Amino acid sequence: MFDTALTVNDLIFLARGAGMTIIVTAISVVIGTLLGILFGVIRVQLGPILAAPLTFVLDIFRSVPLLIQLVLGNAFIGMVLQLQISGFTVACIVLSLYTSAYCAEIVRGGIDAVPEITRRAARSLGLTWGQDMRYIVLPLATRVALPSWIGLALGVMKDSALVYVVQVTELLKSTQILITRLQEPLFLLLICGAFYFIISFPLARFGGYLEKRWSND
Amino acid sequence: MNKLTLIAAVLSMAGLAGTAQADKLDDIISSGKLRCAVVLDFPPMGMRDANNQPIGFDVDYCKDLAAALGVTAEIVETPFPERIPALMSGRVDVGVASTSDTLERAKTVGFSIPYFAFEMAVTANNKTGITSYDGMKGYTVGAVAGTYEAIALEAQVKEWGEGNFRPYQTQADVFLALSQGQLDATVSTSTVAQANVQSGNFGDISVVGFAPFDTDYVALFAKRNEYGFLNYLNLFVNQQVRTGRYDELYEKWVGGEVPQLVVPNVYR
Amino acid sequence: MFDYTFQWKQALNRLPQMLDGALVTMEIAILSMIMGIALAIVLTLLRLSGSRPLIAIATTWVEVARNTPALFQIYMAHFGVASFGIHFSPFVSILIGITFNNAGYLAENFRGALKAIPDTQARAGRSLGLSELQSFRYIIMPQMLRISFLPMTNQMVWAILMTSLGVTVGMNTDLYGVTQDLNALTFRTFELFALAAVIFYLITKTITLGGRLIAARLFRY
Repeated sequence: MFDTALTVNDLIFLARGAGMTIIVTAISVVIGTLLGILFGVIRVQLGPILAAPLTFVLDIFRSVPLLIQLVLGNAFIGMVLQLQISGFTVACIVLSLYTSAYCAEIVRGGIDAVPEITRRAARSLGLTWGQDMRYIVLPLATRVALPSWIGLALGVMKDSALVYVVQVTELLKSTQILITRLQEPLFLLLICGAFYFIISFPLARFGGYLEKRWSND
Repeated sequence: MNKLTLIAAVLSMAGLAGTAQADKLDDIISSGKLRCAVVLDFPPMGMRDANNQPIGFDVDYCKDLAAALGVTAEIVETPFPERIPALMSGRVDVGVASTSDTLERAKTVGFSIPYFAFEMAVTANNKTGITSYDGMKGYTVGAVAGTYEAIALEAQVKEWGEGNFRPYQTQADVFLALSQGQLDATVSTSTVAQANVQSGNFGDISVVGFAPFDTDYVALFAKRNEYGFLNYLNLFVNQQVRTGRYDELYEKWVGGEVPQLVVPNVYR
Repeated sequence: MFDYTFQWKQALNRLPQMLDGALVTMEIAILSMIMGIALAIVLTLLRLSGSRPLIAIATTWVEVARNTPALFQIYMAHFGVASFGIHFSPFVSILIGITFNNAGYLAENFRGALKAIPDTQARAGRSLGLSELQSFRYIIMPQMLRISFLPMTNQMVWAILMTSLGVTVGMNTDLYGVTQDLNALTFRTFELFALAAVIFYLITKTITLGGRLIAARLFRY
């Protein structure tokens, strides 16, 4: 169907880019989620006034383009702090914080969705704060938060296309490198788009399914 | 008590001086590795072979520098707009990236003496019928964002008062846009223009003439305060010419008459 | 310890140019939102149409918009479609890319909002003698837009953030493009991009707070 100069080597090159996309995404989502849970719980526990500084900082990550966050993070760590770390590490740090900012919102929404009266009932039955969080809030909040969290994880994967600015050769960048050599933009872009779609679409559908199932009962 | 403070102060200063003594040149030699920022979509200065490995004039130049230092070379691909951030963030030690040595930039980074000189050429899509630099007036033209020729061309389009200027992120995108007909013409270094036209990858385009810009001298760059390293770079550039290696590399990657790296009537 | 010397003045001198860029950024975001909402309504109607091919077109649009990177969509709008000989200027390319993305996400929001509106309302409209389209236009759509108002302000914020991707298709008049050009001229990366970040923050905050104020005023019951 397509007459292409694409070789097996080039396909391996693309696959390596795809691997990079997945690795950067996985690291950032794991660290970002742990931080996000921490920040989310802190925000709920401290209340809006005491948590204001944290809220403000997290808000910045949601109000500034990721591209600028990466350029600034890179410039700050390297030029100002004079730390010699790889672009890969910078990408993971920035993307993790970016993820945590959104995740904290989701966690907060999840906790807020647990009725106050349920939690008071739990505490009056003699459960400690920790037990309340573990046995009452966690299962109930997870139901609310999980579909959004899947959406967030997929969002991070798509946004990871921007880490090329700190010299990480992920999938879209690998595609551009091949376009430079082979001059088949449409064909190569379609391969690249199909890859993102194949990973993202089933998971997004699964998230939608969970949302539907859990909101009915 | 005062004496103690004084001793402590002297000791701490000695300590600081001790850490400051190992400069970039020492760091590179002891790390055994030289990391060069190279632009890899800028043929024939930097590009990739069929195995997607970096090759080109700048790549060889970096390897020569590493060999002179007795270390191994590591090529770090950096798009044009990311050259300086890569240096400033310590991800690379030196830029071998066809970087014009402008005074504005020299406020931020340190440049060596020029190691290469470009003439600027106009490449046009044949369908447009553009045959000269002035023929571009009123057309949509473009160049790589942040390069010497982009800055000069954008100013020219403003002066003409008609036509459009578009900066793209990479040289590849510029020629892709040119071959697709999204750009009518571009100004690039003549070496890049010839390499791209000869590759046949970009369809119906040809080099139609020179752009009347000043010769674009490009230099190696390193951190501004690394005098020791910058001195070494200057001597290295000088030796490359003296030993004939510069001519050899020019013949290998570009061919034709070797551009002079000296400016008449002035030192350095 | 810090051997980097900040030169904020160099960046601040360029503030007027950056503010001009911010205006272009807002222009792109606003236009892409207006067109995005209109297209999202069309996509919603297609999905409700009951015709298989129309539903397939709408679903494909929504799923591609939601499951591929915005950068990919914008790059495609410029370099991809040019393979068919269709040429868009950088401004139009970024506008198409963001509009495509907006429409996909908003259509999905609208679908969620529709679930919250009881079927009986549409039927009541029909029994009052309204046509199917009329009952959508006068009964369902106003509620749908109201329920989706906050998601729409979120999407507006996204649209602002996405304008930064315009540089990949040759934009240099928007805020990010201007900042990048100034960076190429002066190499003052940190100062210039920090200033750009502040401007982006102020714009997006204004949108979120403004959206909340409007919502509070418009939707009192």
